[in-house]
Amino acid sequence: MILTSIELNNFMCYSGSNRFDFTEGINLIIGDNGYGKSKLFDAFYWVMYDECFNTSLKAFRTTSRLKKLIVSDKAIAETDDGTITTSVILTFHNVERDSIYILERRYQIRKYGEEIFEDAESEEIVRQKEMSILNSKVVTDPVKIEAIKKMILPDNIKPYMWFQGEQVESIIDFNKQDTLTQAINVLSNINRFDNIIELADSLKESSGKELNRKQRDLSKDRGESERLEIERQKLLEQIKQLDKQDLQVKDNLAMAEERSETLLNKQAEATKIRELEERRKAIEKNLNEVQFEFDSEQINLHKRMFTNKWVLKGTDNLFEEYSKKYNDFEQKKLQRQADLKAKVKAENEMIKEMQTRLPIDVPEPIYVQTMLDAERCLICDREAPKNSEPWLKIKELLDRSQMKLKKFEEEDQPLQNFSPDLKKLYQNGLGMSHLISRIDDDIADTFERIQKLSVRRKSLADDLRKIEEDINGLIADTSLNISDAENLLNEYTAQNELTRRSLIEANNLEHLINKKKEVLESINKKLSDLVVGDLPEYLKEKVKVLEEFFEVAHSTRKRVFNKLVQVLEAEANKHYQEMIQGNLSARGIIRLKELSNGKNYMPELVDEHGNVLLQLNTGNIILIKLATIMAIISARQGSRDTELYTLITDAPMSVFGEDYTIGFCKTVSKVYTQSIIMSKEFYRNEKLLKELFNDKEIKLGKVYMITPSIPENERSNRNSLSTNIKSLN
Amino acid sequence: MTREEILKSFLADNLFVEMGYLKEGEVDSVRWANLPSNKIFQVIEIAIDGVVKNESQNVTEKKINQLLNQHP
Repeated sequence: MILTSIELNNFMCYSGSNRFDFTEGINLIIGDNGYGKSKLFDAFYWVMYDECFNTSLKAFRTTSRLKKLIVSDKAIAETDDGTITTSVILTFHNVERDSIYILERRYQIRKYGEEIFEDAESEEIVRQKEMSILNSKVVTDPVKIEAIKKMILPDNIKPYMWFQGEQVESIIDFNKQDTLTQAINVLSNINRFDNIIELADSLKESSGKELNRKQRDLSKDRGESERLEIERQKLLEQIKQLDKQDLQVKDNLAMAEERSETLLNKQAEATKIRELEERRKAIEKNLNEVQFEFDSEQINLHKRMFTNKWVLKGTDNLFEEYSKKYNDFEQKKLQRQADLKAKVKAENEMIKEMQTRLPIDVPEPIYVQTMLDAERCLICDREAPKNSEPWLKIKELLDRSQMKLKKFEEEDQPLQNFSPDLKKLYQNGLGMSHLISRIDDDIADTFERIQKLSVRRKSLADDLRKIEEDINGLIADTSLNISDAENLLNEYTAQNELTRRSLIEANNLEHLINKKKEVLESINKKLSDLVVGDLPEYLKEKVKVLEEFFEVAHSTRKRVFNKLVQVLEAEANKHYQEMIQGNLSARGIIRLKELSNGKNYMPELVDEHGNVLLQLNTGNIILIKLATIMAIISARQGSRDTELYTLITDAPMSVFGEDYTIGFCKTVSKVYTQSIIMSKEFYRNEKLLKELFNDKEIKLGKVYMITPSIPENERSNRNSLSTNIKSLN
Repeated sequence: MTREEILKSFLADNLFVEMGYLKEGEVDSVRWANLPSNKIFQVIEIAIDGVVKNESQNVTEKKINQLLNQHP
């Protein structure tokens, strides 16, 4: 069955009429993120299952919930009043029968002005052409429609044929130990062997009961036989219960072992993340302390202008000048004082001398004044004209009476004596001159300290940035965040503990079951000893044959299943090796490891010596899963699944590097007759695209490039968004 | 998977040689049409037939019991 075309009308970002034609081989739809690849995948899925994948919810949602979200915004915006129809049409061609199946899904909304009325459900129309040349007929019988859809893609195959890149994780879920087993069960005929086992179990049980009844009938002591039978039944029930418990414990053990191993893959990375996180925290604390110290120094730097007198930097000469001037001033002041003292002393001596010739007030001043007025000395009776020497001498006598001895302190004292203030200034300056002399050193010390803090701060910030880069790198590689890593390590410890406890419990149970079986054996022997006469030959033979049938049924089932696993492993490896061809550093062999409960298998990667390769990155894990999914399909020898059904997958290669892209295309091209793959790897990668077109091993179908009609930065308004489709071959 | 293929899977079991039902190398020549007339092979034949025909388990059980309850 080949999917020949898809037509999209007003479906999400595919506004208007759009069409892709497909052929056998690998068909590619190339586009960057957000260009409409996933919407195209949705379109395929919507037609078949009336659901679209909601990437944010990681779940499918039906039309009845999505409603107008399915309809193109542009179509809605461009319609004022009227009906807007969204439809997607898939056309399949059954080449062998030359019949055509056309599956269409429609959904309508009605718009009146700003009001929108949405249909509750979508409508499915299936048409069939018995032969491609004939006209198509609408199929109305729901049973027939279902049959056609099952023929296009059976439910059990669906998860492995139509999937999104994001779903790969869950298709082969390493956390669910029976994922592979379920896949094998679904995709193989192993259930037929399971049915035979059920039959063998039932027949063995009924024949055993028949034998016991006969033994009791032939017993020489019916009472004892009855008692032993009751005891036997009790024991059988106990053993059954213990077997159940044992199975449960072994299941738990297998699950814990598997989980431990899965966790072990990431344990080293998780430990590294935890160590790095602890170091990061320590560095961050250190950095905060240094930053605080640095900030304090910066703030104090300004304060130190005053607290450490940095403002006086360069003023040492001022003090010296002042000191010199003050010294001069003091000298002059002392000199002046000395001069004054001398002057006062001289004047006082003159006064004293004058007092020794005539006592003061002799003659009395009244007579002296009379002599001055008369301009005549009445003592010697000589003339003394005014202002003549004799007159002045007489006047001196008058003045002398007003003279007295002067004291030094009375002489020439200034109104304001600044001397003490100047001295204080000098003394202050003297005190500060020591500080001023140390300012340069103090400034140098402070700046050196700030510089050291700055260097340390930068170094710590660099360390922090580097460690954060390392952590982010690890987080990106491992898909583990810091709390995941912590949880993972805790869980790893818990799972190891559970494994240890389950092992002890399983051993104890096994021991107990064996003891019970020994007792059962002895009861069976006692019952057999009580039999008188011979048991019927047919019955003995029946029991023997059915026991053998039981054994062979179980061992055959196990053998067939193991063979399926081996085939699956070989196929998975074939695909894996093909996919990793382009990457020289990729290595390893996929091994499907049997879990300790003997029922389930999980894929793991080993080296050539069988040693498990741990610390796989997400890309490795997805490759293993994709290889296993392909193996599940391709290992079905004779089933022709790969010929009958089309692989449709969206961004399956997005997790692993582009080294694997061509390998993946080659493998897909070999495994599937037709595949339709949405990819961004070839977008703006001319080299890879050229390789794709030129590689002879790749059977190429149609290749399209899709681009949105409006630039990415304008896409918040989707009212004019449509998708351009360009065929590249 | 055809009944012949299922039978082949059963016959690949060592038990048949160990119990002396088949000789070494004889397994490859055994077909659905020429199964040895032994009770164990007849039981397997009925069981496989029942599974391939989607017969109910009770019906198949009855057929096997009938076969094994025959007195010589």
